[in-house]
Amino acid sequence: MRTWSGRLGITFLVMALWADLSACNIVRVTLNTPLTPDDVAFIEPGSTTLPDVIAKLGAPDALTDSDTGIVATYRFLDVKYSRVNFGWLFKYWSPVDPDLIFSRTGLGVDALEVFCDSRLVVRHQSFLRHLSGPRFNPYPF
Amino acid sequence: MKVSLVAVPVLFLTLSACAFNRGTLGDDIKPEAVSAIKKASTTKAEVLSLLGAPDRILQVNGRDVFQYYRYDAKAGSLLLIVVNFSRFSVKSDDLFVLLNREGIVEDVISSKRTNGLEFRFWPFGD
Repeated sequence: MRTWSGRLGITFLVMALWADLSACNIVRVTLNTPLTPDDVAFIEPGSTTLPDVIAKLGAPDALTDSDTGIVATYRFLDVKYSRVNFGWLFKYWSPVDPDLIFSRTGLGVDALEVFCDSRLVVRHQSFLRHLSGPRFNPYPF
Repeated sequence: MKVSLVAVPVLFLTLSACAFNRGTLGDDIKPEAVSAIKKASTTKAEVLSLLGAPDRILQVNGRDVFQYYRYDAKAGSLLLIVVNFSRFSVKSDDLFVLLNREGIVEDVISSKRTNGLEFRFWPFGD
């Protein structure tokens, strides 16, 4: 037979645990399917053409002019956002609705740039790597 | 029996809601209009009558390039009492029509990525 204080303690512990996890938000935003170096391993500068690249990877997001020809750009975005509101813990006991929010956003911007000459033969290809990192971490400090 | 009497309401209370959202930008690029464009014969005026005015006009290597695009976004949210999971996925359909100096179509580059776009809730993993 549990005592009243024991039950209250367990209830408080469960509520504290629940409240501690509450008001958590985990959000991810992705633009297009990221390409890996393996996906573009078939590109051989000097022999692969832009139509070959497009046949494998699809149309690029942008075509831009350069002094030596055309630059095709495939863009990707990967945003990781996590937020914890520790103030939620006190909302049932406090006359006001307090907030103590930790949140952090990882903005991953990546692009594959394919440089072609005027005959649409690939001369270079490279990734712009600004990755958001693998983890959701709300700790901002 | 006693456990299920507690567990079922708890499950219903924690799995409180879910949400589906969708957003699009631009008109659908009709495949029949794209297939009607023939290299070395279709003119700029015919492209405009088939697809309308382009979203962007680029100058690439001395050629005019008409760019048409459409974006599709699908968002799924699993709204629990203690934690919310959301995932937004955005993909685009792109069409580039390369025209030579005489205004004749030289090449057509298109891709339809939005066909594989799904509602997803789980933010972890790929």
